[in-house]
Amino acid sequence: MIVRAPSRSVLRAWGFALAVGSVILPALPLGGLFAQPPIPLAVLWAAYGWAAEDESSWRAPVTLILLGLLHDQMAGGPYGLFPALYLSAYLIGRVAAVVMSSPNLLSLWGGFAVTALLTVAIARVLAPLGLGDNVSVEPYAEAALITTALFPFVRPLYMSAGSASRPQPGVR
Amino acid sequence: MARRRSSVRRAGAARKITPGVLIAIVALVGAGALVFTHAGRNAGLVQSTMQAGDDGAAVAGRSATGPLRAGESVFDRIGAMWDESARIQRLEQENRDLRAWRDLAQRLAERNARYEALLRMPRDTFGEGADVEHSIAAQLVLDSGGPFMRTLVANAGAVHGVRVGYIAVNENGLIGRVVSVGQQTSRVLMLDDYNSRIPVLGEASRVRAVLAGQASHPPELYTAPFQQQNPRLDFIVGAQSLREGERIITSGDGGLYPRGIPVGQAHRDSDGSWHVSLAAAQRPIDFVRILPYAGMAAPEATATPNEAPPLNSTSTVASIGRNTMAPPPTLAPTPAVARPRPATDPNAAAPPQPLQPTATQPAPVTAAQNHPPAQTPPREPTQTPPATAPAASPAGGAPPVGTPR
Repeated sequence: MIVRAPSRSVLRAWGFALAVGSVILPALPLGGLFAQPPIPLAVLWAAYGWAAEDESSWRAPVTLILLGLLHDQMAGGPYGLFPALYLSAYLIGRVAAVVMSSPNLLSLWGGFAVTALLTVAIARVLAPLGLGDNVSVEPYAEAALITTALFPFVRPLYMSAGSASRPQPGVR
Repeated sequence: MARRRSSVRRAGAARKITPGVLIAIVALVGAGALVFTHAGRNAGLVQSTMQAGDDGAAVAGRSATGPLRAGESVFDRIGAMWDESARIQRLEQENRDLRAWRDLAQRLAERNARYEALLRMPRDTFGEGADVEHSIAAQLVLDSGGPFMRTLVANAGAVHGVRVGYIAVNENGLIGRVVSVGQQTSRVLMLDDYNSRIPVLGEASRVRAVLAGQASHPPELYTAPFQQQNPRLDFIVGAQSLREGERIITSGDGGLYPRGIPVGQAHRDSDGSWHVSLAAAQRPIDFVRILPYAGMAAPEATATPNEAPPLNSTSTVASIGRNTMAPPPTLAPTPAVARPRPATDPNAAAPPQPLQPTATQPAPVTAAQNHPPAQTPPREPTQTPPATAPAASPAGGAPPVGTPR
């Protein structure tokens, strides 16, 4: 019996569903288990993976904007905070995809860890502007840490480990 | 040659900004500006958009979680069957202990009531100033959903009479305050949100403090919906008097919260800081009561000289018609035999006046109007202490407003 591996589009659809779920589930009254953290920020996976795979399409950033606005709506605002975080992850991922000439799982993981860390720094700057000085990014950092730890398990949903589909330096 | 041209084109294309990146950069700048200018939160259009979104999300969330909530109770019952006998034994033991505590509590309550009657102490009422009788019942339908805020969405909005500033409580205690109101829903800022700062009071020690939300996430995984974390107590005045396990209530300072709403119990951490385990979080928060509360006006704004104080039945302010302490020597020199008070003291001899509270119950407003003018002329300028009198005389010796001396 031959089991065919799911196609790339199917994996991408599952990845998108996971990203949407990570935005909506914490808002539903399902208990602390579904709060954020411990629920990972799956949109960060999507932003990083789509940045590496989806080279020039407008769909990835627009989807990230919409998911960010949805997250802002669910979290009670302010509008713009989560889109900024997700788009920065996308742009960092774009830079990382060009820089990594021979990507493997470890370098992808490391790149994602750096991306998540940078989004924490951006959140540290933006969150007090929108939510006041009392706000802490500690829960966001925890969620980013959990997201980074789980990255290898969900990586196939967002990007392939091979370098075929990723842009190389100086080559398209 | 063609091959060479192609490679040149590719190399040049790598330096071009793709549409996706361009969109991302523009949108990132826009999002940052939205947050930076606070327009993402406070602007009228954004506010109404967010409230409309809350209304829609509340309906969707309620529908999505309905079956799951119904199933929760079934699973709980099935789970409880496993250790039923042990649970019954534990409950019986707890019941025996509680009976002993109940007897003790009843005796102490009776004694306390007698002391209060002797001292004419005003009672701590629940939510003084709030319109408890006209509270609005609602159900929580959405959680905050993000790592930055701790808010809840209740399915009662402007059409139900909810306004910004109303207080959300459940059967156990305070949950938070309404910060945003849509047509069908309202958003409640929880006590453990980072931006939540409320003045509180130790019920026994009367120590005042500020309850500061911190929304930290301890390693435990809470399985109850709308679980609240334990906020921190800051700016404690007289912290040495605060007791472990003491009940914490709202103090009403600042006028944002009514006084006397149970908040939780104080607990001291190993590092010396105090936390409050929230009373509202004892059980999963589902149904809430939203109490209409408009705050209290400053005395300067409502000053009406030569009039009796606007006492009502919900106030804990007691107007004491009979002196419970010796008057100051400058006004009425008291001989050594003044304690116990002689029978010739006009206040002591006076019959019970309507303005006097019976035991601990404050007097209604109509009582002052029905009072005979010969004994208590509340609107008489010569009898009523002037506005500057309390400031000029010692606080303890100032006569109660609206009562004869």
